[in-house]
Amino acid sequence: MSPALIAALPFLGALLPGLLIRAGRNACATVTGFVTLLALIGLGLHIPAVLRGEVIRTQIDWLPALGLNANFMLDGLGLLFAGLILGIGLLIILYARFYLSPRDPMGQFYTYLMLFQGAMLGIVLSDNILLLLVFWELTSLSSFLLIGYWKHLPEGRQGARMALAVTGAGGLAMIAGMLILGQIAGSYDLSDILQARDAIQASDWYLPALILILLGAFTKSAQFPFHFWLPHAMAAPTPVSAYLHSATMVKAGIFLMARLWPVLAGTPEWFWIVTSAGLITMVLGAVIGLFKDDLKALLAFSTVSHLGLITMLLGFGTKAAAMVAMFHILNHATFKAALFMVAGIVDHEAHTRDIKRLGGLRRLMPVTFTIATLAGLSMAGIPPLNGFLSKEMMLEQAAHTPPGLIGLLATLGALVSVAYSFRLIAHTFLGPQRTDYPHKPHDPGFGLWAAPALLAGLVVAIGLMPMTVAGWLVDAAAGAVTGTAAHAHIAHWHGLANPALWMSLAAIGGGLVLLGLHPTLDRLWTALPRPEAKRIFDGLMEPLAALSRHLTAALHPGMLSRYLWIATATIIIVSYYAFRSGSHLPGARALTEVEPIAAIGWLLLMAASVAVVLCHHQRLLTLILIAVVGLMVSVGFAYLSAPDLALTQISVEVVTVILLLLALNFLPKTTPRESSVPRKVRDLGLAALGGLAVGGLIYALMTRDFAFPSIADYHLANSKTLGGGTNVVNVILVDFRGYDTFGEITVLGIAALLIFALTESLLSPGAANDRLRGWVSDTPDAGDRHPLMMVVATRMMLPIALMVGIYIFLRGHNVPGGGFIAGLVVAIALVMQYMASGFGWTAARQRIDYHGLIGAGVLVAAATGIGSWFAGRPFMTSNYGYFEIWPLEEFELATAALFDLGVFLTVLGAVMLALSSLTRLAVRAGQTVNTEAFDMQSELEAEEP
Amino acid sequence: MTGSDFNILLPEVILALFAMAALLFGVYTGKDKTTGLITWATAAVFALLAVWIGVNGEGARTAFGGMFNDDPFARFAKVTILLSAAAVLVMSADYMQRRGLARFEYPILVALSVVGMMMMVSAGDLMALYIGLELQSLALYVIASIRRDSAKSTEAGLKYFVLGAFSSGLLLYGASLTYGYAGTTLFSGILSTLGEGVPLGLLFGLVFMLSGLAFKVSAAPFHMWAPDVYEGSPTPVTAFFATAPKVAAMALFARLVYDAFGAIPADWTQVIAAMSLLSMFLGAVAAIGQKDLKRLMAYSSIAHMGYALLGLAAGTAAGVQAMLVYMAIYVTMNVGTFAFILSLERDGKPVSDIHALNMFSKKEPLKALAMLVLLFSLAGVPPMLGFFGKFYVLKATVDAGMVWLATAGAVASVIGAFYYLRLVFYMYFGKETDGVESRMGAVQWLALMASAAIMVVGIVNLMGIDPAAAIAAEALVR
Repeated sequence: MSPALIAALPFLGALLPGLLIRAGRNACATVTGFVTLLALIGLGLHIPAVLRGEVIRTQIDWLPALGLNANFMLDGLGLLFAGLILGIGLLIILYARFYLSPRDPMGQFYTYLMLFQGAMLGIVLSDNILLLLVFWELTSLSSFLLIGYWKHLPEGRQGARMALAVTGAGGLAMIAGMLILGQIAGSYDLSDILQARDAIQASDWYLPALILILLGAFTKSAQFPFHFWLPHAMAAPTPVSAYLHSATMVKAGIFLMARLWPVLAGTPEWFWIVTSAGLITMVLGAVIGLFKDDLKALLAFSTVSHLGLITMLLGFGTKAAAMVAMFHILNHATFKAALFMVAGIVDHEAHTRDIKRLGGLRRLMPVTFTIATLAGLSMAGIPPLNGFLSKEMMLEQAAHTPPGLIGLLATLGALVSVAYSFRLIAHTFLGPQRTDYPHKPHDPGFGLWAAPALLAGLVVAIGLMPMTVAGWLVDAAAGAVTGTAAHAHIAHWHGLANPALWMSLAAIGGGLVLLGLHPTLDRLWTALPRPEAKRIFDGLMEPLAALSRHLTAALHPGMLSRYLWIATATIIIVSYYAFRSGSHLPGARALTEVEPIAAIGWLLLMAASVAVVLCHHQRLLTLILIAVVGLMVSVGFAYLSAPDLALTQISVEVVTVILLLLALNFLPKTTPRESSVPRKVRDLGLAALGGLAVGGLIYALMTRDFAFPSIADYHLANSKTLGGGTNVVNVILVDFRGYDTFGEITVLGIAALLIFALTESLLSPGAANDRLRGWVSDTPDAGDRHPLMMVVATRMMLPIALMVGIYIFLRGHNVPGGGFIAGLVVAIALVMQYMASGFGWTAARQRIDYHGLIGAGVLVAAATGIGSWFAGRPFMTSNYGYFEIWPLEEFELATAALFDLGVFLTVLGAVMLALSSLTRLAVRAGQTVNTEAFDMQSELEAEEP
Repeated sequence: MTGSDFNILLPEVILALFAMAALLFGVYTGKDKTTGLITWATAAVFALLAVWIGVNGEGARTAFGGMFNDDPFARFAKVTILLSAAAVLVMSADYMQRRGLARFEYPILVALSVVGMMMMVSAGDLMALYIGLELQSLALYVIASIRRDSAKSTEAGLKYFVLGAFSSGLLLYGASLTYGYAGTTLFSGILSTLGEGVPLGLLFGLVFMLSGLAFKVSAAPFHMWAPDVYEGSPTPVTAFFATAPKVAAMALFARLVYDAFGAIPADWTQVIAAMSLLSMFLGAVAAIGQKDLKRLMAYSSIAHMGYALLGLAAGTAAGVQAMLVYMAIYVTMNVGTFAFILSLERDGKPVSDIHALNMFSKKEPLKALAMLVLLFSLAGVPPMLGFFGKFYVLKATVDAGMVWLATAGAVASVIGAFYYLRLVFYMYFGKETDGVESRMGAVQWLALMASAAIMVVGIVNLMGIDPAAAIAAEALVR
């Protein structure tokens, strides 16, 4: 059976419990067990080959572009772990069948369990670190589902959250580490990476990669300072704790360290980080475990301690230590899984796991007692059990590793471990029988104790015949870890000269003393303040949450000005960076002379602009200043030989200022002062910086030539020949870029309609309408709404203004002018009538529908464009010709003029529609409409009866 | 301007004509009564166009003298945009109906903005770029404030408009500077002017245009509109914002830097790398403190945009490919997640408080499981599809020699995982509080389940988008 199939089997098997749950719980457990057994047999068939030192591989391309291949391999290390996963898995399946109560959904449990088993197998059999990562996180996910299996237990929640957050985050950090590793080695296949030791250790990125990978390993294996999550995850059902938190998942981190041991180990960084983390974890876990009263919590911390032990051994970086680590992994899995199952049995029978409420179970549960004693003594390291063998070898390694502190602390760890192991046995099973158990305990049925009994048997067997039972496996695993053939020499007696013997004796003796002192120490421990895991976790999370809150409060308070400020500042900074990194060449164009008159004009423009900023709280004044700016710009255009622009600018200025003035009538006359002085200074600085930068850019732009010839030449050359006009600007508008103009007048028309629509909605019943009705002008009227002088003047001006409009329209094609400007001029002429004589009077005298005007304009322009189709030309192709009608001289007619008419009509209609909309607002706000032109007249009429 | 030009633009032309026809139809028949019909018709047109573009397109063609590109890159982005827009449209129909927001203009505006997006991803000229971008944005401004009677929605729309206008201004300013120095608005023309020494003005133009585009993809530090707008807009609109426009803006981003500035990668990869780094960290850290699901998704999208930009920062074809794969996966995840958020309600009112998810798994185990898959995928936890997207960009960055950037990205994803996992935690182990109802129409259910299923099944071969993205990237990075 290929390694890939072995890893895939549990995933396939995960479907079966769900399908078979209707066939009964036994069928469900049997089929799950069968699948596991099948995988175990498949694994077993490879044992001879692996022992010969072969590595069995399966290669499947998955996403080769990513370097992600579904490559599996089976070597000694894989064999050890896969054997543990499947073997203990099988026992757990058996145990869980009898442990779970009839109310628990068993199919679901087995499905999750098989998923987890598959993920674990995937980790240990992967030959690709990315594949390994995938399985790695899959264990987090499936363990999350398993831990959350008993959803009704509130204490489980915090544990599940911590487990998920800590291991999940560690796994993600590991992605980065793996990426770096793969980058250095040039491949993500483990077999390649394992060959790249020198390249990896010489790389600058060795340390970051090491730290990131160890983050993943330490979080998964609950090493200090991430040891806190494991005991909290123990609220899960006991089979889960036994499987995940003692035998398999927590060993994934250990596995990873062992797997990458050949490339990562052996450096001082590795030694110090891994050894100290392991050592601290070992001692700390043991000490905390000693004072736990919950059986499972005690075992949990003991697991943490033992994992620390293994980590420390791997940290030493020597081949001998690595071999001991492999041996201890095997031993720990046997005795710890057995003890967890025992704890589950006690809980199941006595309905409590609290050591303080137990004791004296020896006679009530003799079978359980036997199992627990064997496993517990092995955990304590009492000869001849297997725990003794590996612990003594560990102590020997520690003693030989400088500095001496390591040996001392390792002995201390062993000492405390003896104490809690004895405490577990003594306080649970020994002592007088009690009468107040929550439930009268007795030995469970065979099904429940079979699994731990088998494990206890293994404990004894390995203890008595280590070389026969386990030696070959340890050899194979150690050989795979270190990359060289290993031969374990496991024995009970190493002679008196061996320091480990004395350390062991000290540990056992000290442990007994400690157990004797336990009641006193326990009181002391309880009285001492000590860090609580949950508090540490929250303590770690709280600053992060606080940082997040501060960040959002500072960056996203909902204030638009803050957003704009940040964006502007960023752009200025980035621009400065671009400025520093770019090349600066002086412009190629010479500067023009500055004439005094022009200079005065520019100074005026600048003064007016500054004044706008300074006076912007006074809106009326601001409007006038804006008009001044507009005027100066128009003059500037004229000065720079752009009469068309100047004409357009000035007529647009007039119209907009008038409309703004009318609108301002209904708005507050001042802007509230909201900014503080520092903020103003800040904004001023920002604006000045931005303004200077923009100015500089424009200056730089105008003093150099384009990379391509400018389009101006083309238009100058072809305006007359192609468009039939000498006014290039107008020809561009109505001919070359006729499409654009057509689009623009459409937009202009839509804008006017929008103003109309907005007015409609303002005038329909609603809050805005109410405000308008209640509107009172905050400045009194001048009293003379329609001054006689103005009325008379506008009457006289009207025909002249209209004439000017027509004149400008007609001349447009060849000299400055055109439909746009003409439309504005005529609009101004009409607006003057409205202002002087009032809306009612004027409206009564000219009955043109403005909507219609806009529509007609757009349609005329469109029709002109379509007309070219009849001549067999594309849309908007213009044509022109010369005509002579007596008595006129020869003149030119261009289709573009018709198009210009459309522009003219639209512009006129748009301005007038905006004006009439404003008037409707005024009427609603309570102003009267006079039908007569003169106030005087209407007053006279009012006096008449 | 010939018939063949229009042939190349046919999908865009058809969609634009459809939008206008639908508008006329809506106005002259039942107005809001036709909403359902128009919504489904629009989605169907999207889907048909997506299939058409996906199946039919071949090679690279240009229209209107190079202003419009039809190449594999554009087609990849267009198919993603069209499909995600269609999905969001149909899954929000039910919600809009129930909340009284079923205006017939909504699908039409979406269609118009999609036309804009299709223009954007095909742009070969600064003018075409701007017109496409504005067509898209203007439609989006309106739909952000489609709930006119809600102060929040109106505020969202206004903020979006002001900041959007600001960004458009920046973009235009950058475009005019570029034009000023390069003398042409054609991307290919700009590219041809880039010689040994890059004129400073062009560099400024680039900076301004990148800033303007960063607004559109909500990359930090131009991301500020996203949380407010996501929260304030009606949820279907938020869902739309989080999907199709992001793809379009990101594609435009890539198109601009490669087609117009491809000769000077050193000058823009730094800027993009900085934005990407900021986005990833800011999105991850700021999301932790959020209590509102929609706001949280806004920060999540900021972080995700950071990862997508990571692909661009690599400056290689592999990077662009990674970016495209990432965006496709991102969009799929978001469709599923928003289908779920859309369905949440309590007493008939929509809920987006994260505490409402407490113990959700008890009430609806299947939906909770689907969400679990999606959230894990969003966090980038293997073996979900989201991991592959993230890994793709990280690998592209590492291969481009930016190991520090990739490492930072991975670290940011660790921080980011926290808040996704917190949601999972609430769903599975939260406190017993008054929970939330999840009222789902068939379409939403389908969207949620399909997207969750893709996150699991898609890992087999990334749903086959990988080679397509590779071809698209090759077309762009020459």
